[in-house]
Amino acid sequence: GTSGPGERPQDRRDRNRTEPEPERNRNGTGAGRRRLEQLYFHGQDPISSQDIPNFWKFFQRLRLFQSLRPDREAAPEPSQPPPGLILPPHYDPRYRINLSLPSPDVGCRDNGIPLECGWEFRWALLHYLHFQQRQSFSRLLRIQRERAALPIARYREQLLDAVAQHQVVLVAGDTGCGKSTQVPQFLLGAGYSHVACTQPRRIACISLAKRVALESLHQYGSQVGYQIRFESTRSPSTRLLFLTQGLLLRQAQRDPLLRGYHILLADEVHERQLHGDVLLGVLRRLLPHRPDLKLVLMSATINIPLFSAYFGDAPVLRVPGRSFPISVRMEGEPGKWERLDPMPYLRVMQAIDHKYPAEERGDLLVFLSGVAEIGAVLEAAQTYAACTQRWIVLPLHSTLSVEEQDKVFDVPPPGVRKCILSTNIAETSVTIDGVRFVLDSGKVKEMSYDPQDKLQRLQEFWISQASAEQRKGRAGRTGPGVCYRLYAKSDYEAFPPYPVPEIQRVALDALVLQLKSMGLGDPRTFPFLEPPPSSSLETAIGYLKEQGALDEAEQLTPIGTILAQLPVDVVVGKMLVLGALFGLAEPTLTVAAVLSVPSPFLRPTHPNPDWTTARKPLESPYGDPLTLLNVFNAWVQVKSERGGSSRKWCRRRGLEEHRLYEAANLRRQFQELLRDHQLLEDASEPSSSIRHRERRELHRLWRSHRECEGRKRKLLRLQDGLDTSSGEEEDGGSHRKGIDIQDVKFQLRHDVSELQASSSLVLASSQLALLQLVLCRGLYPQLALPDPFNGSRRDSEQVFHTRSKASVVPHPTSVFATNPELLHHKDLGCILHRHQLLAFVSLLETSKPYLVNCVRVPALQALLLFSQSLDTNADCSRLVADAWLEVSIPKAEEAVRLLSMALQLRSAWDQLLQQLLGKLERSPSQWDVAKLSRRLLEFLQEKVPYRLHQLTGLEKQNLYVGPQLVMASAPHLQGLFPGMEMIPDEVKGGHRITDFLTYNCLAMDTDLYNNCLRSFWTCPHCQLHMPFTPLERMCHESSCQPPPEEEATQSSSKASSLHRPYHCPICQQDFTFTPTEILRHKKQHH
Amino acid sequence: MDAPKEVQPTGEFTCQLCNLTAPYTYYGQKPPYTRSIVLLEESYVMKDPFTPDKDKFLILGSHCSLCRRSVCVGTECSLFYSKRFCLPCVNENLKAFPLEIQEDMDKKKPQEKSSSKKTHTKA
Ligand SMILES: [Zn+2]
Ligand SMILES: [Zn+2]
Repeated sequence: GTSGPGERPQDRRDRNRTEPEPERNRNGTGAGRRRLEQLYFHGQDPISSQDIPNFWKFFQRLRLFQSLRPDREAAPEPSQPPPGLILPPHYDPRYRINLSLPSPDVGCRDNGIPLECGWEFRWALLHYLHFQQRQSFSRLLRIQRERAALPIARYREQLLDAVAQHQVVLVAGDTGCGKSTQVPQFLLGAGYSHVACTQPRRIACISLAKRVALESLHQYGSQVGYQIRFESTRSPSTRLLFLTQGLLLRQAQRDPLLRGYHILLADEVHERQLHGDVLLGVLRRLLPHRPDLKLVLMSATINIPLFSAYFGDAPVLRVPGRSFPISVRMEGEPGKWERLDPMPYLRVMQAIDHKYPAEERGDLLVFLSGVAEIGAVLEAAQTYAACTQRWIVLPLHSTLSVEEQDKVFDVPPPGVRKCILSTNIAETSVTIDGVRFVLDSGKVKEMSYDPQDKLQRLQEFWISQASAEQRKGRAGRTGPGVCYRLYAKSDYEAFPPYPVPEIQRVALDALVLQLKSMGLGDPRTFPFLEPPPSSSLETAIGYLKEQGALDEAEQLTPIGTILAQLPVDVVVGKMLVLGALFGLAEPTLTVAAVLSVPSPFLRPTHPNPDWTTARKPLESPYGDPLTLLNVFNAWVQVKSERGGSSRKWCRRRGLEEHRLYEAANLRRQFQELLRDHQLLEDASEPSSSIRHRERRELHRLWRSHRECEGRKRKLLRLQDGLDTSSGEEEDGGSHRKGIDIQDVKFQLRHDVSELQASSSLVLASSQLALLQLVLCRGLYPQLALPDPFNGSRRDSEQVFHTRSKASVVPHPTSVFATNPELLHHKDLGCILHRHQLLAFVSLLETSKPYLVNCVRVPALQALLLFSQSLDTNADCSRLVADAWLEVSIPKAEEAVRLLSMALQLRSAWDQLLQQLLGKLERSPSQWDVAKLSRRLLEFLQEKVPYRLHQLTGLEKQNLYVGPQLVMASAPHLQGLFPGMEMIPDEVKGGHRITDFLTYNCLAMDTDLYNNCLRSFWTCPHCQLHMPFTPLERMCHESSCQPPPEEEATQSSSKASSLHRPYHCPICQQDFTFTPTEILRHKKQHH
Repeated sequence: MDAPKEVQPTGEFTCQLCNLTAPYTYYGQKPPYTRSIVLLEESYVMKDPFTPDKDKFLILGSHCSLCRRSVCVGTECSLFYSKRFCLPCVNENLKAFPLEIQEDMDKKKPQEKSSSKKTHTKA
C-alpha cells in the first residue's frame, strides 16, 4: 500500500500495527536505513554522525511506544475559537513541534523508499530533533538556576563596586559559595578584559575554563582559556585566562610588570603553596608600579586578617558557604597513633551498610595519608566490596593518570555506593558530588626537607584543624552528611590550627633562583607573607653558590640564569648544560626530562613477575637514569611506529604512560631553552605539506575533544572497583572511538620524526662513558660509597654511605637493588682499580632512607675530576676527597701522574664550559671538545690500583697538619704543577694549588702505607733542628739550598729561619719575607 | 592553537515570564546553522552550547502569538501548538485548545506553583 501525503499520522499507525513485518524489513535495518541516512543526513546536518545510532535507537523506542498507546476517541471540536486563536481542527502531536524538515531535493518517486516509510522516518527525525532541543534547553535552564542559587550570586554588585574602588579586594568564601566560577564571570560581564585567574593546580585550570565557558553558554567563545605548563588554549581573543600560579610567576620573570593583564584573580591563596606565597610577594611589590592593575584575592575563610593586612588592609568581601548539617562521630582512642590498620575503615563501611538502606544514595569519601595507605585499605575494602556487592572502591591520588582519576566522578549502579580512597587531594582540589559520608584518618603525609643532608623525608603528620574541618565539609555539599573521625576529640584539640605553609618546609633553591632572576634582590629581605626559616634560605643560597649558580656576590652566573628558567632540580639543570658541550644533548635532554617527572615504573603492592620480565631488556647496567633513557627511547619508537598502541606497550611493562608524556613535554621545553641560549643548534623545519595536513587533522581532533565539555559520566560496574592497577582494557572518556587523545596531543606537540631519530641513536660505549661522567658531574656531590662488606651480604641488605648519611639503600626500583653484583668485587677493601661509587639524584626517606636514581661511576676518576676539595700528602700517594673519602695509591709516581692529568682535564673542561656559556669571547671549538673527550676517555681507562676508604670520625679530626712551621716544597713540584702559584694554606697547612687542591696538607698518620716515623734532623744549610719524616727532609733539603745571590742564612732561631731577603721585581723594593709573605706581597700587584 | 570561528551575539534574549536571559545569535525561521531544518515560528536562536557540532542550534524562545510577550520555550512559560502561546494566554483560553493540551495543563498546575515560585525568587 501506498498512502497519500494528506493522510493523517493516526491512520498510518493503525496500518503499521496490522502489518508489522514488512514494515520492519523496510525501515528496520540494512539497506533501507542507509538509503534514508544518505537522503537526510548531510555531514553533521541535521544530526551528527555520532548521533545516528542514537537516533535509530530513539526511532525503535518511539515506534514501540506508539504501538502501545491506545487510540483516543476523536476529541470534540472546541467551540467558537476566539479571534487570533485559530488552531488545527484535529489534535495531532505533530503540531507540538516547532520544527519542520522540508523533503530532501532528491526525486521523491525514484529514491527507492516507499513514501510511507519516508513519512515515518521524517516524523521520527523531527521528534528526535525536538527531543534534543528540549534536552539542551533544560540543561541551559538548570545551569542558570544553579548559578543563581550560588551564595556568591547575591554579592555581584558588591564585588564589582569593591573592585572598581580598590586596587586589592579579598573575597573570603567557604567551599561551595561559587567564587572560583562566578567571580571571573562577573568581571567579564562587567566589561573587564585581560583577566587572569591563578590556580594552585593544573587540573583546576582546565576544569574551571571549561566550566566557565559552559556556564556563560560559550558566549565568550574562545575568550575563555587556560594555560598550564605544556598546554594552552590561549589565543589573541582570550579575555579570561586560567593559569597556574607557577606559570604566572614564570611570566613575571619575563615581564616583571605583567603588562598583559588588567586584572588578576589569585584563587585559593589560603592553601599556601610555595608558588602562591611567592606570587603574592611578587604582586605586592608590583602593585605600586602598576596602579591600573586590579588584584582580587580569593580564599577560604581561614586566616583572613593575614592576607588583608599584607595588602594594606584590603577590603574583605565575606561570602557564606553552602553546607548542610553534618554530624560528627569521633571513632578514635585518645592520643593513639598507630600504624595503618584497615579494620576501622571496614567497620565504618559495615556501619553504613547496617544503618542506611541501600536505596538511599550517598557515597563514602575516605581521607588517607598517602598512596601506600590507600593501597593497603584498597585491598581490604575491595575484598569486603566483593563479598557485599554494595560498594565500588576507587583510589584517588595525584600519581594516578587523569583517566583513572576521572573514574571517581562516575555513577555507581543503584544500591551500590562508591568508596573513594583519597589523599588530601580531595580536601580542596577535587570536588566529588554525591558524597554523604566522610571518613577521616586525621593524617597526612607531607614531604619535609632536611637541608643538612639535602634529604627529602615523606612523613606522616596529624592534620590541622582547618584541614579537619575542610574534610568534614565534603560530606555536606549536597545534603546532610556524616563525618567519621578516626581520632579523639582531645587529639583534634591538639591539632595545629592551620597547616604549615609549604615555604616553611621545602628546599628553597628554586625560589631563590627565581627571585634572583626576577631582579628582586636579596631573598633575605624579600617581604614574604610569612618568611621562611632563615636557615633554609641560607642553605639554599650556599647550595646555589656551591653549584655555581650564584657567584660570591650572590648574583646569578650564566649557568644560574639558565637554571632559573628550568622548572627542575639544579643538578638536573646542570646536566643539560654539561651534556650540550659534548654533543650529548639528545640523551641528556631525555635523561634530564625523565629524572624530573615521578618515576614511570608502577609499583604494585605485589610484585608482578610479568612486568619484571618485560622490563628486563630495558634495564641498563650503568644505572637508573640510563634505564629511564632506554624506556623513553623504546616508547618513542613504539609511538612512532604504532601510535596509539603505546598504551598497551606501557601496560605490559607496568609503566605509567602519563609520566612519559610529561617527560616528552619537559624534554621539549629543555630543548627550546637550550636553543634559546645557543647551547643547541636550531632544528631544521620539517614542514612538508603532508605533515601540514596531518597537523590540521590532529588539531581538529584535539579541538573537538576539548569542546566536548569533558567526559560524560559513565555508569560504573561493580568490577570497576577491582583490579585497577593492572589497567583496564577500555579506558576513560578521552578515548572516543579508539582515538587516544594523549597520542593526538603528543603528535601535535612534538616533531615525532625528529624525536624518533634522536631516540633511535645507539650510544657508542665511549659516548655512554662520557654520559656517565656528565651525569656524575651534574649530580656531584651526591655520591654514595658501597659498604666494604656488601660482598658478603645478602642482596636485600646492601648498604651504602653518603657523606652525611650512613646506611642508605638503593630504591627498590633501582637496577642496583635488583642486581647488586654490578657493584661487587670479591676483594673489596683491597687495592684494585675498579672501585665504584653511586651518584644519585635524590635521597628520599620513607620507611628507610633510599637512594633514588643511581648511576655508577669509577671512584678514583670521579673524585679526582669533581671533588670540591682534594687534599694530598707530600708525594700525592694519599688523597682525601671532600674530607670524606681517602684514596691511597701505592705507586706514588702513578698518583702524581693521575693527579696532574685530572688537573689538566678539569681546567680544560671548565674553560670549554665558560666558552659555551658565553663568558669567554669564543665558543668552544670542535677540535678542543674532541680532544677533551678523548683525554677524558683515556683517563677513565686508567687502571691504577688503589685503596678506597671512608674516613672515620677520628681520622677526620686528625686529618690535616695545620699551619706549617716548615715551608717545604717537594723537589718534583715544578713538574707537577707547572705555572701554578702555591699559596700556603693557613688552615689545613700545605699549599693551595688551585681552588680545590691543597698539596701536602695531610697529616702523616698511622696509615698502613705511611707508617714512617719522624726523627730529629738538623739542616746543614739553615741549622734547623726538628723532627722530620724522610719525605719532609727531602722537601726541606730541596728548598733550603742557598740560592746563588742569597746571603748566608742567619741564626738558627726557628722564626728567622723562614725569613729571607726578597727583592720585588715589580715595585723594586727590598724586604725580609717568609715565603708566605712573599706570595702575599706578589698578590698585591695583581 | 587556532581559535574556532565565532558568531558574535546579536543581542540578549529575556523571557518575560521567568527572566531567563541568554545571548542569541539569530532571530527568524531559517537558522544559519542548518540547511535542512526550518522553524515554524520566528525564534530567538543560539548555537547549541552543549555540543561542539557547529550545525546544532538551540531555540531559546519566541513571541506569544496572542500577547506578543517574549517567552522562553520552557514548559513552565509557554507551549507550542501550531503557534507559540505563553502559559497565561493558554490558561485564559484553555477551552479553545484540544483536550490533550487541556489535560497537560491540568497535570502541570500543581507543579507549576512551586517551580514558578523558584524562578521568581532568583530575579
Ligand atoms: Zn521563561
Ligand atoms: Zn501570551
